[in-house]
Formats: sequence, structure tokens, C-alpha cells
Amino acid sequence: MSTIYEKLATTVLEGNSDKVPGLIQKGLDEGKTAKELLDNGLVVGMDEVGVRFKRGDMFVPEVLMSAEAMKAGMDPLRPLLAEAEEEMLGTIVLGTVEGDLHDIGKNLVAMMCEGAGFDVVNIGFDKPPEAFIDAIKEHQPDIVGMSALLTTTMRAMGHTIKAIEEAGLRDQVKIMVGGAPVDAEFADRIGADGYGSNAPSASDLAKEFVGAA
Amino acid sequence: MRTNYQVNSGVRFRMLSDDQLQELFEGVLHVLENTGLEVHHEESREILKDAGAWVDGKRVRVPSWLVKESLRKAPRSFTLYARDGNREHNIHIGPGRAHFGPGPTCPNFIDVETLERRPYVKDDVSKVARVVDALPNIDFCESLGSVDDVHADLSALYEFAHMFPNTSKPIVAWSFDKYDSEGIHKIAVAEAGGQEAFEQRPNYVHYCEPLSPLVSTFEALDKLVFAARKRIPLVFTPCPIAGGTAPITPAGIITQGVAESWMGLTIAQAIQPGLPFIMGGVFSVMDMNAMILAYGAPELPLMMAGLTELAHYAGLPLWQTGGCTDSKTFDEQALIEGSMSVYFSALTGGDLCHDVGYTESAMTGSVFQLAAMDEAIGYARRITRGIEVNEDTLAASVINDVGPNGHYLREQHTRRYYKNEFWYPNLCDRRNYEEWDMMGRKTMKDRTIARVRDILASHEPAPLKEGTGELIQEVLEEAEDRVEQDWWQDREIAD
Repeated sequence: MSTIYEKLATTVLEGNSDKVPGLIQKGLDEGKTAKELLDNGLVVGMDEVGVRFKRGDMFVPEVLMSAEAMKAGMDPLRPLLAEAEEEMLGTIVLGTVEGDLHDIGKNLVAMMCEGAGFDVVNIGFDKPPEAFIDAIKEHQPDIVGMSALLTTTMRAMGHTIKAIEEAGLRDQVKIMVGGAPVDAEFADRIGADGYGSNAPSASDLAKEFVGAA
Repeated sequence: MRTNYQVNSGVRFRMLSDDQLQELFEGVLHVLENTGLEVHHEESREILKDAGAWVDGKRVRVPSWLVKESLRKAPRSFTLYARDGNREHNIHIGPGRAHFGPGPTCPNFIDVETLERRPYVKDDVSKVARVVDALPNIDFCESLGSVDDVHADLSALYEFAHMFPNTSKPIVAWSFDKYDSEGIHKIAVAEAGGQEAFEQRPNYVHYCEPLSPLVSTFEALDKLVFAARKRIPLVFTPCPIAGGTAPITPAGIITQGVAESWMGLTIAQAIQPGLPFIMGGVFSVMDMNAMILAYGAPELPLMMAGLTELAHYAGLPLWQTGGCTDSKTFDEQALIEGSMSVYFSALTGGDLCHDVGYTESAMTGSVFQLAAMDEAIGYARRITRGIEVNEDTLAASVINDVGPNGHYLREQHTRRYYKNEFWYPNLCDRRNYEEWDMMGRKTMKDRTIARVRDILASHEPAPLKEGTGELIQEVLEEAEDRVEQDWWQDREIAD
């Protein structure tokens, strides 16, 4: 007889979104707290997803199914966690930088980070530095993630970081960058704190930033 | 509802026209009828004479009606069965199906631990068979070598005795003579559950090799007669060398080599009508500088493609050749030559493609070459599987749902197809630079060696049925007694 935690973890691993809310309800009925269901069930499942993806045993469409299942569990838990004044992992502001219309990769990062337990504010694509600065002021995130797909637009990430510095906000956020042409060396050169080579590694990086990895 | 609609379910490849194939076909009949072959086996000459061939001393000429009748009797489609009933390991021979496996009888082997070239020994057989059993794109088993550390007359028997327990994939069994063949057959029949059960579900193929040019040797025919009587599916595979033992032109070597094969066919079908007969063989060039039979030459896959088309034109399956190399080591040459020939072989749909894993022009077997070629075959098979076109696969409604600047990763459509539509490599590396760097900058060679060793450390083949293991021991002991007693002095060697 497996526990509710094991069932939740397995269901997330299988990417079965439909089954998750029912299990959450069952867990709550059994007297488990929202925090317990999150930490001992959903997060355990997502951690295993990360392990299998890195080993090459899971593929991106499956990882996204798991992330969706995680989200399906988070939706009913979120108000309960807020009520109990439980801290979320953190908040991430995400956007594609100015001049770049590419939306998809950044949205995948958003999904993965939500699946990992972050609150994600997705500000969209073709966003000038001011949009990032406004979002930081409004949402007080722990992390800012920016993306660029083109070699012609990746420099805009550097400009955005500089603008955040000039606005005096650089010290209150960790900055992660990504996108096809980006590598660790470039991230370092423009003054970012880290780089994720794909969506799952971006969410790993985010967890590292908040000390949850 | 579709009407008057044609589907190509794989990549279409065809080299020779119907007219060219007919001309080659008539050429073979002409050689068999007018030139004939030397047949060094008295019983076979009698069988041929009774069937309607003209026998003049050792020279036998076969009238074209008799060849055509023999072709008519031989099946184009049949199944080779896994000894353990594992349907995934069965081989269905028939149009549009290409299968792959190693070759036999290399004197040397690349040692799995030291990576050094050394004589092939008994212990290597089980290793090759277990790797064959585990590799997803290797369909049948041969041993990649001749066992050097047993009595010379028993190496084929030891080879089979060690392959059989270590893979349930069908085996193609090479042998010296019918004494080996008898021992091999005894083992296979015991596992199948008797001779009749074996005939219905054959679990191995018998392998004979005549001599070029135009000689049916005593041993090849003695084995053929044995196999035909026991209804063992038969590979009959000449190995003509263009410019040496065969005409230098591709059309010429094909004409001569097929005549050599069809002499065997005629005898086999006269003894056992309907016997599954897989026409050979290895057709390549004599390198006029190195004086070797070149296993990596482009003419090999080219000639083999012509041979495959002629075999299929005549209604026979083919013993294809590919995945082999003249390189002495696991290098770029080995992978270019091997990959090009397996891809070309896959395109032709040649039925059983052997010699995968040969290096050094068939002098050295390499299980690493075999494992790398498993990857190349997977790659080739994805291409030859082609593009499926129907309402669901052309995905107009999914395109509409996702729209501009959306993405497809979350679509049910993607989830339904991503495993089948994409081929996922086992050995080729697609990680980004940093991950590759972090994982120790492994090369294809490193990854191939690791995979082979991993298989050998972990893969367990399906066990034999109860009693077969003991029977194998008995067969080997009997054979050891026989060679002790110089039994060979009584052998029929008269031809």
C-alpha cells in the first residue's frame, strides 16, 4: 500500500495531470498539510523527473507533462500555502529581450520553473530594459531570467543587465540567461549569474539560486 | 475514403531496370546451360542428372527450364524463429525487410578488455553472442571468428555450442563439414522439440560456401545435401573477387556468382522442394595494389545492390553484406566504410545482411565495430522507414490550433508521435559543448567501448530449455572422442 506522497510523486512522474487534483484532495482529507503534500509528494516526483531527464531516460514532451501535472497540483495548494503563510520557492520574472520575437523557449522555462514550485511572472517577448526594471520593482522577484534566440539580439541581454545595474536593482536579484546561441562564457561576460542550456537546467539553476537544489 | 491513391511506405531505391535484370537473368541461365560448373560431389551429380541436368565427368550443365523450376519451388518469404519463442527475435524474411548480423570465421579478434588484436578464442564466442542478443538492430548471430583454442576440426561445433545458449536470436551456423553440421543440428533440434517441430519453426540457418570460379566443392555440397534432407534453411554463398576469381565488371561478377549460387539451389530443391534458400554472397573487388578482397570498397555495396535486385527479381531472398571495413582499427575509415555499406544495404532490402563487425578485410572480428554499426543501422532504418502521409500526420488541425509563435511541445500530437517519428541515438552525442566537456569529452570510440562492456556486464540472454545444456555437453564430448580416434581417416573424401 503506497502512501499518498508516493502516489503523488508517481503521478507527477507519469505526467498524469487529471489524477493529481483528486490525490491532493485525498491528502488534505487525510489531514496532510499543503506544505507536506508539496514537499513530500509533488516535489519528490519532479526531482525524479530531473534525474531521469539528465540521464536521457525522459524526453522533453514527457518532462512537460510532468510539469503540467505539478502545476495541476499547485493550483489547489497555492491558496492554502498562502493562507498558512508558507513561503514559495521564490518568484521569477521572465522575458525575451528587446528586438527578439522568440517566445517559446522562454515559455518552456516558465513551465519548468512553475513545475519546480516557483511563482513565475512571464512578461513576454521583445521587452526593453525598462520593462524588466518595472517588473522587478512591481514583483520583487528573487530571480530574473532573460532569453534571446538570435546572435543579433543576445547583446540586448547585456544592455538589460546594465540597465538593471544603473537602476540600482542588480543586488536584489539573481540573473539567469539562456537561448540557443548563449553559452556559459557569454553569460559570464555580460555579468549574468548563471546560464541554463535548456528548460530543465534553467529550473535547476533557479533552484540553486534560492538554495533549494 | 481514398481512391486510386498510391503509397510509398519507405524510401524507394532501385538501380537496375526490368530490362537490365532480365538480361542478367538470361545471362546466368546461359552460363549454367552452356558453361556449367564443376561439381565435386558424386551424389549431387546423380541428383542433378536425375533432375534433368547434363553431366559430363565432373562438369554439370543445367538446362534453363530446370533452373526456373528450382526457382519456382523456393520460397521468397519465410520465418526464422527465436529459440525461446520471443517474437521480437523472430526474423520474417520477405519483400521490403532488411536484417543485419555479424559474419563468421575471422582468425583474429579485438580483445574486449585490452583492445588488442589477437587470435579468436572460445571465450569470445559467448561475448559476441551476448552483445548480438542485446543490440536492438542486430537481428541474427554469427560469431565473428574461428575458435583457435580447440581442436582445429571442432572449432565450428564449439562456436555453435557457445553461441546457442548466449542469444535467442536466430543463428547462421557455419561449419567445416557434415560432421559438424550433424552436431549443430542435434543441439538445435533438441531445443526446438524434435525434428518436426524444428521444420515448422527453424531456429538456425545452415551456411555453405562454394568456390569461385564455377566450382561446387565437395564440402559445400556435402553440407548442402545434409541441410536439404533435414530441411534446414540454407545460405549458399559464393565469394567471387572481381578481377581475380570473377570478371572485373559488376555485371560479369553478378552473372558468374549467381550461376554458382543457383547450382546449389538446383540440387537443394531437387532434394527438398520448398527448402528456404538464401542466395549469397560477398561480391567485391580485388584491390589491384594491396591484393586483398576489399570489404570497404564502394563496389561491394554497389555489386551487392545489383545482386539483391537480381535475387528479388528471381524470387529469392539474399544474403547481403555490409557494416564491414578494411581498416585495422576503430577509426574514421571503419565507420565511413561500415556506415555507407549498411545504409546502402538497408536501402536495397537485402534480406540478411552479414559481416557486420568485420575489420581488416575479414581478418579480424570486432564487437566494437558491430556495436557502432548497430547505431548506423538504427540511423539507416529510420531513413528507410520513410514518411507517412495521412490526415493525422500532415497535422493541418494541429498547425491551426498552435498558430503563429506558439509551440508544439505540449500538443497531444507531439506526444503521440515523438517516440516513433524520431530516432534516438544510443552512441552518437548530441549534448551541448559544456555538458560534453563535463562528461569527460568522450569520443564515439569511448562510448562504443563503454556500451559493449556495459552489455557484457549486465545483459542476460534467455535461458535454454531444460536438458539442452547437458545435450550440448554430450555433443561436444562425443566430438572430442571422435577427433581423438583420428576419425577423419575414414572420412569420405572421394569426389
